Amino acid sequence: MLFTSPAFVIFFTLFFLLYWYVFRGSLRLQNLLILTGSYLFYAWWDWRFLFLLVGNSILNYFLGIGLAKSNSPKYRNFLLWIGLIQGLGSLVFFKYFNFFINSIISAFSVFNMKADIQTLNIILPLGISFYTFKTISYLLEIKKGKIKPVTDWVVFFSYISFFPTVISGPIDRPKTLIPQLEKQRVFDYSQASDGMRQILWGLFKKIVIADNCAAITAPAFAHYDTLPASSLLFAVFLFTIQLYADFSGYSDMAIGLARLLGFKITRNFNFPFFAQSIPDFWRRWHISLTSWFTDYVFNPLSWYFRDYGKFGLILAILINFTAIGIWHGANWTFIVFGFLHGCFFIPFILSGNLNKKKKGAHATAGKSLAAFINMAGTFILLMLTFMIFRADNLSTALGYYHKLFSSSIFYSFTITEKANTIATMIAIAVMLSAEWLQRDKQHALQIDAVKGLPVRALIYFGLIFFILSFSPVKVVDFIYFKF
Amino acid sequence: MFKTLLFVMPVFVFFEVLFRLGFAPIVTNSTLFDIKMLAVQKHHIKNVKLLAMGSSVGLYELDSKTIVQNFNMPYYNFSSWGLQITDTRLLLSSFVKKYHPKYVLLCSSIGEFVGPQNDTYLNFINANDFIKDKLPELFYFTNYSSIHQLVYRKFNTYPLALDNWGGASLSVKQKNINREKWNEHDIFPTKYTPANYIALDSLASLLKREHVKFVFIQVPIKKSYSNTDQSKQIIQVHFDKCKSIVEAHDGTYLNYYNTTVFTDSLFIDQYHLQAEGAVILTKEIVADLEKIIK
Repeated sequence: MLFTSPAFVIFFTLFFLLYWYVFRGSLRLQNLLILTGSYLFYAWWDWRFLFLLVGNSILNYFLGIGLAKSNSPKYRNFLLWIGLIQGLGSLVFFKYFNFFINSIISAFSVFNMKADIQTLNIILPLGISFYTFKTISYLLEIKKGKIKPVTDWVVFFSYISFFPTVISGPIDRPKTLIPQLEKQRVFDYSQASDGMRQILWGLFKKIVIADNCAAITAPAFAHYDTLPASSLLFAVFLFTIQLYADFSGYSDMAIGLARLLGFKITRNFNFPFFAQSIPDFWRRWHISLTSWFTDYVFNPLSWYFRDYGKFGLILAILINFTAIGIWHGANWTFIVFGFLHGCFFIPFILSGNLNKKKKGAHATAGKSLAAFINMAGTFILLMLTFMIFRADNLSTALGYYHKLFSSSIFYSFTITEKANTIATMIAIAVMLSAEWLQRDKQHALQIDAVKGLPVRALIYFGLIFFILSFSPVKVVDFIYFKF
Repeated sequence: MFKTLLFVMPVFVFFEVLFRLGFAPIVTNSTLFDIKMLAVQKHHIKNVKLLAMGSSVGLYELDSKTIVQNFNMPYYNFSSWGLQITDTRLLLSSFVKKYHPKYVLLCSSIGEFVGPQNDTYLNFINANDFIKDKLPELFYFTNYSSIHQLVYRKFNTYPLALDNWGGASLSVKQKNINREKWNEHDIFPTKYTPANYIALDSLASLLKREHVKFVFIQVPIKKSYSNTDQSKQIIQVHFDKCKSIVEAHDGTYLNYYNTTVFTDSLFIDQYHLQAEGAVILTKEIVADLEKIIK
């Protein structure tokens, strides 16, 4: 069930009432409720893959305990490898099997040879990319001795399947979520009300901005060859916004829901469109994923290549970002997207500025023109690379570029749904303005400092009215569900 | 919880106000159907012994006053713009269970055999009876549409005044008749026509099983529509096909295609009669129905 669906509203309302009014006194019962609710939530999507989730949880539960108990390094490595092979193996099978087969077939065809290999009709289990990374980080943290294994199976299973985040993250680390599951939660009114505000903000971004953008971008990309380049440029701009609004909207809702239950989970976005460089962007975009890759891929690789100086670092970055690209899906477009973004780090590595924050990072556009130019330039680079991300395949992506850099960029284009397009543009302006003004907060609607109740009510009801007035005809699935 | 309710209640109140102001929830993609179902709910229509169904031809060409003056039984016209026979089959399966009619009049012309089924009617059929009968406001949430869509629909809908029995009439001065509409000639048959014949057969079979007398009424067609031998043959084949289907299930087939009685001056376009023509047609129908309806 989507967070925006009536079924989820009913589910969560009942869950909330049981959680805080019936089971409040018992930590065990609360956790059991979380586990039951999480499995119900997951099974609602597709009950068949619940077995995979449960099986994954059982295996990693025992592997974690085994890792901590054993004193033999060999045996510990063996257990770790079982966990890694199972997790990554499932991921590779479900996500990449057909991609590998098709790539082999294509490679053979280059030499005019035919590879007689069959693809399979594989359905991607929802959330597998996210919960697999949770189990891997759990095992690696135990192996490194950074955390102790969880002996309470309810806590561990709840950690893996925690319903606000199981489908599309954020990817919580064990030391973030598990301690919170192990201790009694106390209802904190200010945390809960801020959680509600964050949900409202997420709803606004998802329904008004992302879904309305989708209604415009989908036909534009589908018919890009018959439309002027200006139309494609507009679609690319909107798609960049759509991707952010969709994913950050989901993350805001997930974080808000968790806060309503007394949990503080990992922040996933830190206003990435205000980044002044690509490295800065990746410190602000899908933070839980990039930090995961930094800790478990980039850091080990940069240590391994340490003898090669800056070139070792470049190699580590390229591998890291190519892997991030691959994580997104089984398509060469994602691989190229990731690799390109890795390439954008090279000038910073060579100049030694990789970890330096740009001056004027928090300056207003008026005070620092350089900061504004950096932001605009970074945004344009993002737009151009998200085009590859959007394409079905590399030849379509090349087709987009070919069209974009043609003379029809100066032609005007027709907007069919004028009212919705205008409303979307206004909503985008509202979003960017609010996030700029609130850039030092966790989310744009963290307006505790606004004391006057009428003003706050006006903001809340204004957003609600905007959502009710301009939600699109068709509510679109969250984009990151397919990753 | 109280504060949450404080935020949620104004939203419900707002939608209730919208409902009272006539901004009907969007349930199907047929504005008239949605309005009509609200009218049915508002007038507490429960028991319909003589049920009329069809597309715009059924809506405009059955003069309600003529029918109710001649038949002393509860009557309602559920016709709606654009209904195809496939849609009528879908809707009647629900209406027969709900309203227990003894007679179903299906006013039809070739325009009901040309298009695909409109699956949005399922949004209404599958909705909970409580929502349909008691709280149609809940459709705002079960079939959510944005306020902008509600406003757009209300202010862009062809103005229509339904009478107390769900019918309506057309009165357009000759000089105001749209020339393009006048000269229109629907392509018939289309790729959807066979499915509509199948639906007619299924509909007739359903009514027979439910012991409901089915009366199929072929309404007049403008003379200039069938002014070639080919078009004459096409519509004759259609008439024969419908007759055989209806009568195979013990239904009654009535055909009022008569270009002498229903001259072009009584029409507004290829199939729709003006109010005057509708009265003439209904009187003829009533005369025939009196032999069937006891």
